[in-house]
Amino acid sequence: MFATVTLALFKGFLGTLKLFSLTLLFSLPLGLLISFGSMSKTAILRLPIRLIIWIIRGTPLMLQLLIIFYGPGIFLGRNIWGSGDSGRFTAALTAFVINYACYFSEIFRGGIQSIPKGQYEAAQVLGLSRTQTFFRIILLQVIKRIVPPISNEVITLVKDTSLARVIAFYEIIWEGERFIKSSGIIWPLFYTGVFYLLFSGLLTLLFGYIEKKLDYFK
Amino acid sequence: MPILEVNNLKKSFDGDSILKGISFDMEKGQTLSILGSSGSGKTTLLRCLNFLEMADDGRIKVNGETLFDGMKTSFSENELRDKRRHFGMVFQQFNLFPQYTALENVTLAPRLANPSKDKIDIERESRMLLTKMGLPDKLNHYPHQLSGGQQQRVAIARALALKPDILCFDEPTSALDPELTGEVLKVIKELALQHTTMIIVTHEIPFARDVSDQIIFLDRGVIAEKGTPSQVIDSPTNERTQKFLANY
Ligand SMILES: Nc1ncnc2c1ncn2[C@@H]1O[C@H](COP(=O)(O)OP(=O)(O)OP(=O)(O)O)[C@@H](O)[C@H]1O
Ligand SMILES: [Mg+2]
Repeated sequence: MFATVTLALFKGFLGTLKLFSLTLLFSLPLGLLISFGSMSKTAILRLPIRLIIWIIRGTPLMLQLLIIFYGPGIFLGRNIWGSGDSGRFTAALTAFVINYACYFSEIFRGGIQSIPKGQYEAAQVLGLSRTQTFFRIILLQVIKRIVPPISNEVITLVKDTSLARVIAFYEIIWEGERFIKSSGIIWPLFYTGVFYLLFSGLLTLLFGYIEKKLDYFK
Repeated sequence: MPILEVNNLKKSFDGDSILKGISFDMEKGQTLSILGSSGSGKTTLLRCLNFLEMADDGRIKVNGETLFDGMKTSFSENELRDKRRHFGMVFQQFNLFPQYTALENVTLAPRLANPSKDKIDIERESRMLLTKMGLPDKLNHYPHQLSGGQQQRVAIARALALKPDILCFDEPTSALDPELTGEVLKVIKELALQHTTMIIVTHEIPFARDVSDQIIFLDRGVIAEKGTPSQVIDSPTNERTQKFLANY
C-alpha cells in the first residue's frame, strides 16, 4: 500500500511541480515588465496597470482561477483552453502567472524605488547609459533587497498550487484525497504534507544560500 | 581662454527663482570655492553645470564649446552624456556603488566608456589614483568596509578616472565625522597643488581660503561677492558676506 500511495503522490507532485516551476518561469519576467509599467511616467500606461494589480491582489486566486477557466466559455461561447487535462493546466497556469506576476511586480517596484537617487546620479555623472545603469548598478542592489519577500511569495506559491484543484487540475492533494474514497485511509493526506514540507524546506535553504551569497555588500 | 564660462545662468523650481543670473568664469588649473548659506543655490548651481538639472536660461561654455545656451533645454541621452563628460562630481553622500570594491568603483566607468582600451591599463591607472588618495591597501574593500573619509576618497578617485575638465565637489566633508574631514581636505588640497581644475562647494572657510584661487559668495541665488580669498574672506564688502562669515 505504502508503495502505491507513494507512487500516486509522486505523480500528483509532478503536476504540482510543473505548475509551480512554469508559474515562476513566466511570472518573474512578466512581473518585472509590469513593475516598469506601474512606474511609468505615462498615465495611460501606469493607471490601467495599477488598476489591474489592485484587482488581482484584492481578489482571491481561487476566484480568478474559476473566472479564467469558465469565463471564456461563457463570454465567448467557446472554450479557448482546449480540452482535457492539458486545457485545465493551461488555464490554471494562466491564472497563476497573472496573479503571481502582479505580486512580484509590487515587490520589484518596492525594490527599485528603494534604491537611493544618488546611485542614479552617480551613474549619470559617470556617463553610464540608462541600460548600463540599470544592469550594472541598480539590478543587483534590487535583487539583494527583494530576495526575502520573493522567497516568501515563492513558498506561498508552493502551497497555492493546490488551489488549482477547483478546476480539476490533478495535483498532489487531489491524489492523496482519492485514497479516502477508494481505500478509506487518511494517512496519504498527511503524507502529502511531508512533500510540501520537504519542498518548501529545500526552497528555504536555497533562498538562504542566495541571501548569504549577496551578503558581501551592504 | 577660460576653461569655464558661465553666463547669466538661471534656474527656478515651481516658480521659485533659485539661481537668478549667475555669471563667472575660471581658468584651467584653478580652484574655485563657492560659499553661501543653506538654500542659497550652491548645489543647484553645480547640478546645472553637471546637467543633473537643466537650467532655464543662460550659457555654459567649456573650453569655448557652448554646452548650454538657453535656446534648447531638452537633449537626448547621448547629448547629455557628451556634455556631462566635461564635469566630474563628488557628492556629499559619496554615492559609491555598494556591490563593487573600491577598485571596481573606479574602473567601472572608464571600462564602459572605452571598451577597446586594455583592461590592464585602466586597472593600473585606477590603482595609481587610489594610491594617490592614500588607499593603496583598500583596493579590494567594499564601500561598507570603509570609513566615510575613505569612501569619499574612493569617490574622488572614481571621478578623476574619467579625466574630467572640471571636478566639482558638493560639500565633500559635510557628511563626515570631524576627525575624518582632515584626510579628505588633504587630498583635495593635494589636487589643487597639482593644478586640477576644481569647483568646491564647502562650509570649511579656512580650507577654502587656503586652497582657492577664487571664491564666490552666493546669496539667495545671486553672486553677492566674488574675488580672491583675501578679498572675499578677509575683507568682504558685501553686508551679507560679512554676516555669513561672522558666524564662522
Ligand atoms: N528639485 C528641486 N525641486 C524644488 N526645489 C528645489 C529643488 N532643488 C533645490 N530646490 C530648492 O532650491 C533652493 C536651493 O537649494 P540648494 O540645494 O541649491 O541650496 P544649497 O545652497 O546647496 O544649500 P545647502 O547648503 O543646504 O546644501 C532650496 O530652497 C531648495 O528647496
Ligand atoms: Mg547643497
